[in-house]
Amino acid sequence: MVLAGLLAAVVSASAPTAPAQGPVYSVWLVRNSVFKDVPAGAFMPDRAFVPGSTSPMNNQPFFQLPVNVGVIKGGNELILYDTGWKQQDYHKMTNTVNWAPLPEQLKLLGIEPGDVTKIVIGHAHWDHAGSISDFPNAVLYVQKAELEGIEWALNYKGHPKIAAVNVTPGGCARTPACGFEPLTMQEVYGKVLSGKAVVVDGTMEIAPGVIIHPAHRAHTPGSQLLEVPTPMGKLVFGSDVYSSWEGIRDWQVANIQQTDSVQQFLAYEKCYKITGGYQNCVAAHEPLSYSDGYPLTKNWWAGPNDSRLAEVTLAPGERTRKP
Amino acid sequence: MNKRATAAEFVGAPVDSAPSSGPSPVRRPTRLKFALFAGVLVILILLVTLAAVRERSVRGPAAGPVLPPPRPAPTAAEEIYARALWSVHGAVKTEAFRMTMIGMKYKLGNADRADFRTRLDAAADAFRTAEGQVRALTPPPSLQSVHAEYLEAVQLFERSVAEMRRAADDDRTEHLVAAYPLSQEASRKLLRVGKAIWPGEYVPN
Repeated sequence: MVLAGLLAAVVSASAPTAPAQGPVYSVWLVRNSVFKDVPAGAFMPDRAFVPGSTSPMNNQPFFQLPVNVGVIKGGNELILYDTGWKQQDYHKMTNTVNWAPLPEQLKLLGIEPGDVTKIVIGHAHWDHAGSISDFPNAVLYVQKAELEGIEWALNYKGHPKIAAVNVTPGGCARTPACGFEPLTMQEVYGKVLSGKAVVVDGTMEIAPGVIIHPAHRAHTPGSQLLEVPTPMGKLVFGSDVYSSWEGIRDWQVANIQQTDSVQQFLAYEKCYKITGGYQNCVAAHEPLSYSDGYPLTKNWWAGPNDSRLAEVTLAPGERTRKP
Repeated sequence: MNKRATAAEFVGAPVDSAPSSGPSPVRRPTRLKFALFAGVLVILILLVTLAAVRERSVRGPAAGPVLPPPRPAPTAAEEIYARALWSVHGAVKTEAFRMTMIGMKYKLGNADRADFRTRLDAAADAFRTAEGQVRALTPPPSLQSVHAEYLEAVQLFERSVAEMRRAADDDRTEHLVAAYPLSQEASRKLLRVGKAIWPGEYVPN
């Protein structure tokens, strides 16, 4: 913890703290569903439940993990960072609750599916890239390394545990392409077929000030972050690279799927450098989401099927959507 | 204490166990009390029963949370079939994945036609083999529909590959677009089968 604090202080000291210059964007966060009762240690090894422990690090047996989607609005752009998922058979297999169709949730923000101009997927796992086809006009941004990583695993000739699909029931966790399920990859393929996919190789500015940063192997082979200038300073969306906001704060790895832990820490550092700390790192599965415990999401309200929406920040002239 | 004394007076044996030579002015009120008690008891039981029946009919099964019936344990025959189909499923899923990826690469210009054709031919072979393997399985009666759905899925993949293969011949991407929904439907079928017989196929991640 001391080391983590020192590291945080060093990174913060060298980070920019001034408000963003140029265009700024409004941001909302939507909880598309919840993974119910995920064992704490399965999500974060450092947070594994220890019976009888009074430490807040180890006294929780389960986490309720939201699946958060970022909504970014400014100028003529309406950008989604991740899309949640809609394949309900997957939901039933994964103890998923409180799911609501993303288009229905976005209506509460006054957004129609056709309004979405761009989708950046932090990675192509099923709970992040599962509703791409609901937004017919949106251009999809996916990292080249993500597609190459799947391709590599698919054609790997060694032990089948390293192949792209699970070979024993429930056995794909931690294997190289676990989470890239057939129906999900077809969502990506649909955008490629319709000519609305951009394969990004590294860094790319997709709108004024809105920048994709690669975070390869920080969760999946081609994970990517999204830097967004807002009235409250820069935000960095991290998808599952930033699965846990507390993990970024405390320098603990989280949601180890295809994660290289060093790369995950480097991605944490990237957020500290860009935003000036950990407060503005936007996490996909932070259990404290939609509470004061995760300040970015404290201004929340309930949506369909007891889902959640949070108004993170509003650009000048933007009206509140909170009822 | 008083209550116990009263009850003993009412139901205790001594009153009725004495030899009887006909109605007597002493015993008549005791019999009357007993008859009254029995009547009240019967009425009470009837009332409780009626209330319970009425409660059930008013609330109905949908009024409270309806839990799905617990999944019955698979029979030995079902387990054998599920294991046998699983051994085919790995190859089918991998090939379905490969189809998607090669389609993507081709459309993005990252695979040439020769590579595209070779990969699709391999996929067609794999699905043909899988179809034969599925047909060779004999499902138990309870899994006939699951078996049929899996077979349909494999056949849909075969049709999808054949459609994509036409693009390798004439380079028209309309074939890829036509093939896409076939693969999607096939993948949905695989998932439905998985849900029915491999409940642990996918875990949260």
